[in-house]
This record gives sequence, C-alpha cells and structure tokens, in this order.
Amino acid sequence: MESLQHLEAQLLEALKDIKTDAALNDIKAQYVGKKGHLAAAMQTMKTLPAEERPAFGQAVNALKTVLLNHLDSHQKALNEAAMMARLEQEVIDVTLPGVPFEQGSKHILSQIIERIEDLFIGMGYLIKEGPEVESDLYNFEKLNLPADHPARDMQDSFYIDEHTLLRTHTSPVQVRTMLAYGGEKPVKIICPGKVYRRDDDDATHSHQFMQIEGLVVDEKTSMSDLKGTLLEVARTMFGADREIRLRPSYFPFTEPSVEVDVSCANCEGQGCSICKQTGWIEILGAGMVHDNVLKDAGYDPTKYQGFAFGMGVERIAMLAYKIEDIRHFYTNDQRFLTQFKDDQGGLEE
Amino acid sequence: MNVSLKWLKEYVAHQATPDVVAQKFLEHAQEVAHVKPLSTVQGLKVGHVLSCEKHPNADKLSLTQVSLGDETLSIICGAPNVAADQKVIVAPVGVTMANGLTIEKVMLKDYPSEGMICSLEELGIDKKYHGEEGIHVLAQDAEIGADALAVMQLDDVVMELDLTPNRADLLSMFGVAYEAAALLEAPLTIPYPTIEESLLSNPMKISTQTSRCEAYYGRVLDTIEIRESPQWLKSRLIASGVRPINNVVDITNYVMLETGQPLHAFDYDALGSQEVVVREATEGETFKTLDGHIRQLKAGDILITNGNVPIALGGVMGGFDSEVETTTRSVLLESARFHPTSIRHTSRRLDLRSESSMRFERGVDPQKTRYALERATALLVQYAGATVREGIAYFDHYERKDALVELSLSRINRVLGTQLTVTEVSALLERLRFSHEPGECFYVTVPTRRQDIQTEQDLIEEVGRLYGFNQLPSTLPKLNTLGGLSPKQRRFRQLKNRLNTLGLHEAVTYALVKKETLSRFTFASSADAVQLKNPLSEDRQVLALTPLNGLVDTLRYHQSRQMTDTAFFEIGKRYTTNEENDILGLALANDALTHWQGNQAHDFYRLKGLVDHVLALYGLTATYQAVTHESYHPYQCAKIFLGDMHIGHLGALHPSVAKTYDLKHVFLAEINLTQCELHKRVNAPYVPISKTPIIQRDLALVVPKTTSAQRLIDVIEQLELTHFKDVEIFDVYEGEPLKDTERSLALRLRFNNPQKTLETAQVDEAIETVLKALKKSLNITVRDA
Ligand SMILES: [Zn+2]
Repeated sequence: MESLQHLEAQLLEALKDIKTDAALNDIKAQYVGKKGHLAAAMQTMKTLPAEERPAFGQAVNALKTVLLNHLDSHQKALNEAAMMARLEQEVIDVTLPGVPFEQGSKHILSQIIERIEDLFIGMGYLIKEGPEVESDLYNFEKLNLPADHPARDMQDSFYIDEHTLLRTHTSPVQVRTMLAYGGEKPVKIICPGKVYRRDDDDATHSHQFMQIEGLVVDEKTSMSDLKGTLLEVARTMFGADREIRLRPSYFPFTEPSVEVDVSCANCEGQGCSICKQTGWIEILGAGMVHDNVLKDAGYDPTKYQGFAFGMGVERIAMLAYKIEDIRHFYTNDQRFLTQFKDDQGGLEE
Repeated sequence: MNVSLKWLKEYVAHQATPDVVAQKFLEHAQEVAHVKPLSTVQGLKVGHVLSCEKHPNADKLSLTQVSLGDETLSIICGAPNVAADQKVIVAPVGVTMANGLTIEKVMLKDYPSEGMICSLEELGIDKKYHGEEGIHVLAQDAEIGADALAVMQLDDVVMELDLTPNRADLLSMFGVAYEAAALLEAPLTIPYPTIEESLLSNPMKISTQTSRCEAYYGRVLDTIEIRESPQWLKSRLIASGVRPINNVVDITNYVMLETGQPLHAFDYDALGSQEVVVREATEGETFKTLDGHIRQLKAGDILITNGNVPIALGGVMGGFDSEVETTTRSVLLESARFHPTSIRHTSRRLDLRSESSMRFERGVDPQKTRYALERATALLVQYAGATVREGIAYFDHYERKDALVELSLSRINRVLGTQLTVTEVSALLERLRFSHEPGECFYVTVPTRRQDIQTEQDLIEEVGRLYGFNQLPSTLPKLNTLGGLSPKQRRFRQLKNRLNTLGLHEAVTYALVKKETLSRFTFASSADAVQLKNPLSEDRQVLALTPLNGLVDTLRYHQSRQMTDTAFFEIGKRYTTNEENDILGLALANDALTHWQGNQAHDFYRLKGLVDHVLALYGLTATYQAVTHESYHPYQCAKIFLGDMHIGHLGALHPSVAKTYDLKHVFLAEINLTQCELHKRVNAPYVPISKTPIIQRDLALVVPKTTSAQRLIDVIEQLELTHFKDVEIFDVYEGEPLKDTERSLALRLRFNNPQKTLETAQVDEAIETVLKALKKSLNITVRDA
C-alpha cells in the first residue's frame, strides 16, 4: 500500500521535466499503461488475502483516477504552452494602418436637398419632380407670366424651340401637380431639381443650378403659415437661434410677394462683411399664390389660397459653409466633396 | 430711383432720420440699395477771396487770403481759375475730404497754407454732373462763413431704391412722397401750379393717327432765356443722378422726376409748322435723333411729326433738328402718353433706354399728363422768363377710371393669418390715401397713381405690407397630410448611400454638353438629342444622353492633378425629345494606391460587381453580352440586359480614347434606372429556411476560351433540374497543362429538397444530366484530375 501512495508523488516529480507530448505519452504509459506501474500493482493483488482484495482494488482504481487527472492537467498545460508559443510567432505591429475601406461622399447639394426634404416630410409634405425640358405653358404662361413679360426674354432662358425651353425654375412642377390634383385636392409639396438660366458661369452665377420650391394650397393656409414654415427652414439650415425678416417684393406668380432674409450667423446680426453690414442675408423668395396661377391650375381663388416659396440650393450651401465660388459644386474636386460630412440635420430629442 | 431726402421733405413733413426712412421703405415698401450723403465732407465754409497773387516760388500756385468772416486764412491754391473777390468753398484745417484725406496746415515752397479751396469733385460730386475743371465758384450772394454744402443745397442724403417692376409709381418723387407719408404717418403737401397766360393764343393743332399715343398736351412758351438753372434745382438733379444742362432741359427733367411724367421741349421756331401729328413709322423709315445718330425705324415705332417730317421718336428721344439750343427763344412743351409695349420694343431695339422710356414702359399716372405740363410751365415762367401762350393744344383719348375694388375683411385675415379689425384696416387705407367705405366689405377707390392695384389681392398686399409682414405671427399650415418619399426617391437615396459606402463619390455635372461628344460613351442614339436654339457656347449646346460625359471630365480633372485613385457616380439623365430617363453613371479610374496589405485595383469585374450590386437593389439580375463600341476596349465591353431589354453597358475605356483625355485605366458603366424602376422585383414572398441540408457538387470543366461562362450557366439553368438551387463559377484557370485555346472553369452546383434530405444517387443523377447536356450542346468535358 505504501508503494501505491508513493506513485502519485513519483509521477508529479517526473512530470516536472516533461515538455513534449511524446514524453508525456511515455510517462502516461509508464504509470497507467498496460505495462505500467498501476498494472503491475494490480498483478500483486493476487498475492493478497481474498478479504483484502476489494479494498486494494478500489485503492488502485482511485489512484488511477488521480494519476489520470494529473496527466490530463499536464497535457492541458502543454497544449497551452504550445498555443502560446505559436501565438508568439504571430505577433503583429498593431500600430500599422488598417486595411482601408474607401468611403465615398454624398454631394453637398444632395446633402442639403435631403436635409430640407426631411424637414418638409416631417411637416407632411410630398416631394414632386418633373421634366427639365419644359413647355412655355408650364414654365411661364400658367405662372402669370404672359407672353410679353420681360422675365421671358431670350437672354434669360435656354430655348429648344418656340414653345420649349429648359425650365428656369421648378415652378412648372407645382403647376403640373395642381393640374393633376384637379382643382380640389389640397396641395402640400416641395419640388427640388435642376434648373437653367442663360447666364455666363462665374463665381456667383451658374447656367445650371438646383432649386427647391414649395407649395401649399388649401382653404386656409396663410401668410403667417408661410412665415412660420420659412422660419423652420432658416433654423434647420443656419442654426436654432436664427430669425427671419420678410421684405415686400414682386414676383408674377405670388401676391403678396416677399424676399426673406435670415439673421447673419457670422456676426449675430451685428453687421459684418458677409451680410454687407446689414445683419441680414437674403435666402429666398416667397409669397401667397397669385389668383391667376390658382385659376389657371383649376383652383377657385375665391375658395382656395396658399403659399409658395423657392430657394437656390447652391446659395444655401454657400452661406451655410462659406463657400466662395459656385463653380466648385460642378467641378466635383474630391478634396472639396469630402469636406462635407453627411452628419447634419435631425431634431433634438 | 435715387431719392433726395432733402427734396422729399418738401412734400412730407417728417422728423425721421435718413436711416429710419430707409428702414421703413425696406420693411414695408421696396428694397433700399443704399442711403448715403451726397457729400461726406463736413465743415466746409463759404470763403471770400480777398487777394490772389502768384506764388513767388511756384509757377502754378497762387497765394490767397480768404476771409471766412470771423477769420482770414492764407491758402495756397493750385487751380488756374482762382481769382480775387470770388466766393469759394473752403475746407479749413481738420476737414476730411471725400477721398479720405484730412486738411492740415502745411508749408508750400516757404509759404504757409491753412486750408483748401475746393472743386466739386473734391466734395465727392462726380465730374459727370458738372464737368467743371478747377475750383467751384459760388454765386456772389453767398453768405461769407456759412456752411458751403448748405448754401449749395448739397447737404443732402440720397436713398437709392431698387424698384420692382410693379411699383412704377415710385419712379416719381410724388409717388415716393405718398409712400413716405403712409410709412411715416406724416402730412403730405403736393404743389398745385397756377399759370398766367399771355394774350397771344396757342396756335398748335395736335392730332394722332395711332392709338399708341393716347394723349398729347402741348403749350407754347415765348421769351425764353436759356441759362443755368438755380443751384437748388441743379443740386436736386445731381442728387437724383441727372446731369444739369440748362434751365429748360433741367426743368423738364425735374418735373419728370417729380411727377413721373416725361416731358419734351421742342425749339418752336425749328418745328417748321404749327401742327403736331403723331403717327407710326413706316418700315425702313429713318430719323436723326438729337444725339446725331440716324435711326432705322420699324412699323410700330411712334413718331411725332410736324404734319410733314418727324420731329421726335415719341417717348424715346427728341429730334436733332428741333432740339432746344442756347439760341432758342420759344418752345413747344410736350406732355404725352404712349403705349408701354411700343416704347419698350422701340427703346430695346435701338438700345435707347432712357429715364423717359423707362417710365413710359412701366406706366405713367394718367392724371399727371396735364399736371406735369402745367408744373413745368410754371417753373419755366419762374426760372426761364417764359411767357405762356393762351390755351393748351391737346387730344386725350385715354379713358381715366378710378378703380373701384371690393376688399373683404375676412379675406384679408384669412390670407394674412391676422385678426385685423375694420378700424385697423381703415386706418391703413387712410395712410395710403385710398378713399374707401369701411365695413366687412370695403369699397376702395384706388387712385390712378397706383396703376398696379386692380384686384382684391393687390389690396391685400398693400394692407399686409403696410401693417408689416414682420408683425405677422409665425404659424404652420393646419393642413394635415401624409409626408414622405416616393418609392423611387427612397431607392435613389439608398442607392446613393450604398455607393458612398462602397467608396464612390457622388458627382453633379452639367447636363449641357458638346454636340460632338453626345454618343461618345453611350450606345444611346444622338438622333433624339435635345439641342438648344440659343446656347451660350459650343461646349454647352446639347443635353447629355448619359452622365458619363460629365464623369469623364471629372476623372480627367482629378488625373491631371495627380489624383488617380478615383471612383465617382452620378444619377443624371438621358434627355431625349420624348422623355427623360434617370441614368446612373459609374466611373472608376485605376487605383494607383497601394496599401501595404496589397493592391485593390479597379478592373472590369470590380465594376461589374458594382453593377450587380445596384441591380440587386431593384431585385434584378442582369445578363451580359460582349459588344464593341468605338470608345471602349474591343474585348472588355458588355451590354447589360434584363431579359432581352438593353438597360446599360459597362466597359474599359479604349486606351487610345483614354489618351485623348489624358486618362489611364478608366472603367465606365451606365444603367438606366427608369427601366430598373419599371421592372423592379422587390418584396419577393418570404420563403422559410430549408430544414434539410443543401448538397453541393463542384465540377472542373475544360472549356474553349471562345465559349462564354454565361453559355454554360444558360445550358445548366435551361435543364430545369428538380431540386436544383443555383450554380456559381468559383474559379477560372488558364495555363499548363491546358491548351492555349482552353481554360478551366470550376462550377459549384447546389441542390436542395426542402421536404426531404436528398439521396446521393439523386444528386449523382442530376450531375450526370448536366454533364451530358454540356457535352452535347457545347462539347465540354470534365477536367481530368
Ligand atoms: Zn454678418
């Protein structure tokens, strides 16, 4: 029995030098193998008196479990050491650059349009689009711009033929929508899109630019509603502290007509070079839809009324980001495009 | 319109500062371009030149002693026209001149100078208004020591209004006065001229042969003395931006500025008759205008004739032969009314746009035709020594009617979103001096000076602006509707976001392109292209058929700036005479960037992967067919098909084409998104995940290089095998031991029966069928292991 007890200590001692799986297997065979120490011990059981044999057998089996446990944990330790040795070979310099996932950019004009669209969608507007090659009828005539109106001079528009031109604003989409709505259904839309004016390109003029116009027509939408709506636009685009100012103006398709200024964010209204010392910057034109426009689109002006507004997207972007040249928007220089992260907008929770 | 605020005060009794006046106009009437003093120079005095001698040490300088009343200054003057006993404008030490320089005491060639004798230009009055060289000499009665600007009535502030086309009334000081009186709630006084006529009667006979002249009033004035106008009149003209000429011309201009009614003075003795006949010009007729040019006329131009020959181009310019000159003794003074459109056409065509034609174009108050004649007559009596012949010769066919407009209080409030009362609205109309009967419905009589007001909506605008748009509450429309993006708009946003995430930058390029390049990068036919009638340049003449034109320019821009690693897209349009289709353009330039982990160059297949990715957004799978196009690599270009519908293409730009753009390794694709939208297969029904395993089998096939991979797939798919799921190509191999004409394609076929796990034998059988079919149709065999 003593020799049995001795086996465990002996194994633990032997394991101290075992560094490889092969050596461990040898030791395992020496102790618990068919010809190992335990097997030999079992052989001696025959020499014991019959009444001692069961106890001896149990003791050997218990010892076997103990030895196997030692061997197993040594195996685990060896595995772990081997893994560690292998991982050590796989050391990397974590400060080397990661594999780049090239990130593209959304054009700043798209970003501005999406922000304004989202604002208006939140207020229950639909987004309407229409053709850029437009008829004189929708671009001018039905907008209270009769044939002899100075704004229709050839200088201002690109003509395809006598009756067709590149739209000079997105207002024809409003006309088309009203006509489609049949003179009864209320209208609440914004119309973003490309428009064209026969201007030579320079820092502040572009023959092609983006516009967003809006139109609400029902039985009660008022000039005060226009003012509140435009205040939301100004605050979304230029900051929550902004105020707006309405100045009387003239457009053939609206009456009353106003030009809308936003308080200068650069100087907080104190006057600076950006606002030409006035504290205000003009951002858009607006007004109550002219009776003639409603009438021509099939809406009874004694019953229906509403507002319309229009703004240049480039102008908004130029003011919001202090961009100095409108041509940048169409040059698409990557170093320009990637400066505008699409992370603006949204309402505070 | 340049408004002299000093002049304005003659009509409107108010105490407001220039800034307050400007602010009121800006917020309630019209845009104010600027408010500036006529001269910024402060502290000028009237001086009396006591003595003037030549400077002993300088030829061109004079030594003067100038009395300012309480002191006498020694001033050295460089102007040749300075002389003793003149009354002059003196800037003493400390005065800052218009150019920003401040006068100091200086020594000039050993003599002191304690101030400056000024020219008008040094006060900031542009030479175009006076043409004076040297110092300005004041009238002898100028009070020594007085404020020189005040003496000259140049102590004025000018407010420049940017007028909108509807407010023709503000092209007159009277109109501005009515407006100012309304804005400032101040009393208004309009002068009424009285005239004493002589015993000689007006012999003129006046008639018209055209309805384009609606009224014509003429007076004859004798004993005219042509001379300089009084200083106050000259100063008012200067403040208004009009150059003084002589008393007769100045008075006609002054009255035009005052009333908005243009006038013309003819030299009566040069008329050649005692008759005025207005008629339309005949095509090709010529006429010498007072600037000495011979004008080619057209039918429709209005001519004033003496019954025989033309004497003026009506409303646009007078004639050379009847111009008022210094010798003129009698004048025919004309105040007439011409058709706006006719004046506009004539003045534009001849490029003769004047203060006069501008007013006729926009419309003149019909009440002022006769009034202006009388006002000018009275001034000519006073300032030109005129005597007035008895009677006015005239015709007047204009039907003058005050507009009676109904204005409903409830509509005002409904449109403006206000709660104005009858009393409040009545007060506003009162300020505008519109006579009216107050009530739930106002009956408003609109005076003829406001020709822009004809409807209830016009009046609501008047009420609204005077009340103040900035006084309106800020509310939102009460109209409740659903807002949102259309499915197409949603998809475009998704598409942009995805392409951004995949590393592509969105470009926005010009839709107008050069005609020659229309079909350069696309299969679309240029036959239906939309061409401008009046382009600004050849480069922007036709609407593009594909955004690829703009995208190639964008790539070129970047490559020429050493930015060769570029990937762009644009959702543009194909514009044709019948329709506009949304076209996605993809443009990749070879990735020169080498990451230390390896190179990820763009190539045909990378682009094709992008195309597949885009189509997947629409639930679509395309097929591809090799094609040729002169701008693309002859062996790396394919059309994209949905079934048998061609919806786009992709390819490597032909190296020689690329070279002409200074580009390298460019890959372009175009997808017609309008077609994708029409054929989209989104919202496929849900299929539960199969519980049985998917069995896959790989085949390595030796295929002639001339046989496309698509053909193999077509053959397999057409078999419509039971439980067949799909097939993909997962490897391509060329080289030993294969022949040069061959390649090996590795196909992975997948099978599944959701009801029951497939038996090996079933799959073996299917594979056998596939191999037989490939052998039979394409003579393709399995590659020996
Ligand atoms: Zn500012």
